[in-house]
Amino acid sequence: MLQFDQVSKTYPGGFVALERINFRIAKGEMVFLTGHSGAGKSTILKLISMIERPSTGRVMINNIDLSRLKRSQVPYVRRDVGIIFQNHRLLMNHTVFDNVALPLVIEGFTGKEMVKRVHAALDKVGLLDKQRCLPETLSGGEQQRVGIARAVVNKPPLLLADEPTGNLDPELSRDIMQVFEAFNQVGVSVLVATHDLGLIARMRYRTLTLKQGKMINDGLMPLQEPV
Amino acid sequence: MSVLFSGRASGAKANRISALRRFLMFFVHHFRQALASLGELWRTPTASVLTIVVLGLSLTLPATLHLLVKNAQQISGSFAKAAEINLFIRDTASAQQIQSLITILNADKQISSVRHISKEQAMLEFQEASGFGAALSYLTDNPLPDVLVVQPVNTDPSAARALMQQLSNERIVEFAKLDLEWLTRLEAIVGLLQQAVFAIALLLLSAVLFIVSNTIRLSIISKREEIEVMKLVGATDAFIQRPFLYTGFWFGVLGGLLAFLVSEALLWWLRGAISKITDLYQSDFQIQAMNLTEFLSIILLAVLLGVVGSYLSVRRHIRAIEPAGP
Repeated sequence: MLQFDQVSKTYPGGFVALERINFRIAKGEMVFLTGHSGAGKSTILKLISMIERPSTGRVMINNIDLSRLKRSQVPYVRRDVGIIFQNHRLLMNHTVFDNVALPLVIEGFTGKEMVKRVHAALDKVGLLDKQRCLPETLSGGEQQRVGIARAVVNKPPLLLADEPTGNLDPELSRDIMQVFEAFNQVGVSVLVATHDLGLIARMRYRTLTLKQGKMINDGLMPLQEPV
Repeated sequence: MSVLFSGRASGAKANRISALRRFLMFFVHHFRQALASLGELWRTPTASVLTIVVLGLSLTLPATLHLLVKNAQQISGSFAKAAEINLFIRDTASAQQIQSLITILNADKQISSVRHISKEQAMLEFQEASGFGAALSYLTDNPLPDVLVVQPVNTDPSAARALMQQLSNERIVEFAKLDLEWLTRLEAIVGLLQQAVFAIALLLLSAVLFIVSNTIRLSIISKREEIEVMKLVGATDAFIQRPFLYTGFWFGVLGGLLAFLVSEALLWWLRGAISKITDLYQSDFQIQAMNLTEFLSIILLAVLLGVVGSYLSVRRHIRAIEPAGP
């Protein structure tokens, strides 16, 4: 599904964000990505969503080398990758419904089919009754869930989440992670970037650990090995 | 269309919507977006009104000047007398020869009418007009020639001059005279006005282009965040720019209407002053307002300016906005 092949990224100015990163995520796999801030988590997500391009190496999705795609194809790649942002990135002057419907409108859905899908996505995150609200009237956790609904509404095969539980209390974090697990169970590949080690310990999924742009661990975290 | 997952149908195709329905939906969708953009104008009234007013007033000046030139051309057309050709007949010609020449000229398709002023008539007119009445009666014989006043069908100076050349070759014609100077001068003035209008219009319209383009640029910048989000969830540049193009379209429609109304009002206001002048010249001149074609062209021009101005901005600035990342 997703493959990094000797990927390095050097930003203008010489800062090396990633150094020869290799990993694969299989179809329907759920993986955590962790490391201190500045370790390269965001850069990996940016490379997958084609906000940045690698300096060397290849990023492949479904065996297609992203660096071979033209600028005009970038939007179509992003339609296949659902992204959940730490700061939600909702359209603040549009209703929850409009926010979730945006990817569908972009793809040319209209009428009943669109409404059906938006309702299904909002139902999954438990916000069906808030669809007419403006995002700023919602709590942080609810806004995060609107972001999740928007990321999954067009059923992308790959879901990326950047610190989805960043500012949330543990209970809300658990709820949100359960939403991700639910998607994972229907075959969506999920990559969650987080520095919440407690969460990772509880969830027991494969974890990629970055340190200063290098991959130092791939697998279950040592501290979470069964006793 | 999915680039990465060939099996993954998406959007309208996944819904298996028929081609006809998709075709219809295309228009419905555009219509909706046009309405949405109109609503967007409503939400930012100050900037929109300012742009529309600037667009409208900038178009008003060339439109009004065009109307004035059009009316001036009509006036110059009404002074067809200017293109009268006077044929001075040789003294030796007999009355019969003159009559036969009149018949020939009357049959000529290039000539609309021929008037004969005989020596005697000419003498009488001259006596009345010149004030030499008594003095002229001392003359033993009449020195004035017979004159044929020929009115050409085509009053265009060059055509009239060609006709004059042709007529001066007639055997009994001593010489032909055409009062051209005045007509050429008037035409030159009208031509100059026309070119001035064109130049002013060109300058104003390019200014309008930049003003629309700048308004749209500001609108894009104020929606930067929204555009980034749309790009992140997979919107193409074409999708993002459409509402802005429609905004330009509405600027054009409303600005064009404004230009029409203001120039008609100006013309109405000038009507009194113009009729005073034309009364002095005892002409039955009727000032001409904008006709349907002119109205449509001004709207079309305004819309074109709106859309092109918007496109210039959209093309550069929407491309330049790239999401900074998650």
